[in-house]
Amino acid sequence: MSHSDVALGGHHVPVMEPSPFAVPAKKLAMWLFIISDIMTFAACLVAYGFLRNSTPNWPKPFQSSTIVSVMLMTFIMITSSLIMVLAVRAAKVGDRAGAFRYSMITLAAGLIFAVLHIREWFGMIAQGVTFYKNPWGTGLFGGAYFSVTGIELLHVIAALIALLIVSLGYKSGRYSAGDIENCGLFWQFINIVWMFVVPLVYLMNVAG
Amino acid sequence: MTTTEASGGLSKYLAVYVAMLVITLIEVVIAYRHPSGARLLVSMLLLAAIGAVLGVLYFMGLASENHRSIVAFSVFTLFVLATINYGWTDSFRILFGAPFSK
Repeated sequence: MSHSDVALGGHHVPVMEPSPFAVPAKKLAMWLFIISDIMTFAACLVAYGFLRNSTPNWPKPFQSSTIVSVMLMTFIMITSSLIMVLAVRAAKVGDRAGAFRYSMITLAAGLIFAVLHIREWFGMIAQGVTFYKNPWGTGLFGGAYFSVTGIELLHVIAALIALLIVSLGYKSGRYSAGDIENCGLFWQFINIVWMFVVPLVYLMNVAG
Repeated sequence: MTTTEASGGLSKYLAVYVAMLVITLIEVVIAYRHPSGARLLVSMLLLAAIGAVLGVLYFMGLASENHRSIVAFSVFTLFVLATINYGWTDSFRILFGAPFSK
């Protein structure tokens, strides 16, 4: 008789309770992480909205060239989300090569997105926008802009690193389809956050 | 996403993909019409929320999870998002003075 059997009074009862919501533990953890991350982004966006609403001379600096670039970034992000769905589907049916291929396409799309994002930043910095000042209006604009878009970019970079590691691990058999699915959940979440960042940060501040 | 669903068709994902692109285009059109601040904010939030719901339900696969998961995750998240918005009224106070003072 093992120590655990003694502790349980000799009865053979399950030591672990079944997973709540019938969701695997790692997937449940990812959902809970995403919910907590929603709070982070919601707090940032509400703080941004607070500042924009309460500041009369809030700048509207985004020219058409910036909006075109942001639309291209959005197209890349939404397309990468669809491709990540394909990666998860391939992983679910045990197609390791297909899942790896789609994951790498998602990774490439994410890298292009990140490069375009950094290019936008350099464009803003070249116009004189910093955390504390800008040429157009309240100095709060730069801080709000770089904070909201920066936390998005940070998530994109983190997701790309995770996707690279998990995809390589999945291809070699170290990681399971569930791990690809969890990476996919995080990538989809970042896409959804971007769908709020674009209208609230960029489109509400179109120069006109 | 369940295993049964994984072997199914792609049409619903393509529909969500197209819907998300269309939503983004509508947002751009609205932004260039320069409506008033409140109308612009409400339109943008509404469209973004529709895109987000589609993304969560289909790209993230919440629609194919069991019913209890959908209810638990949705209620918790919506509650957090609702309560975090309490600060908006204070931003009006900064602009117009103490709320409800007139």
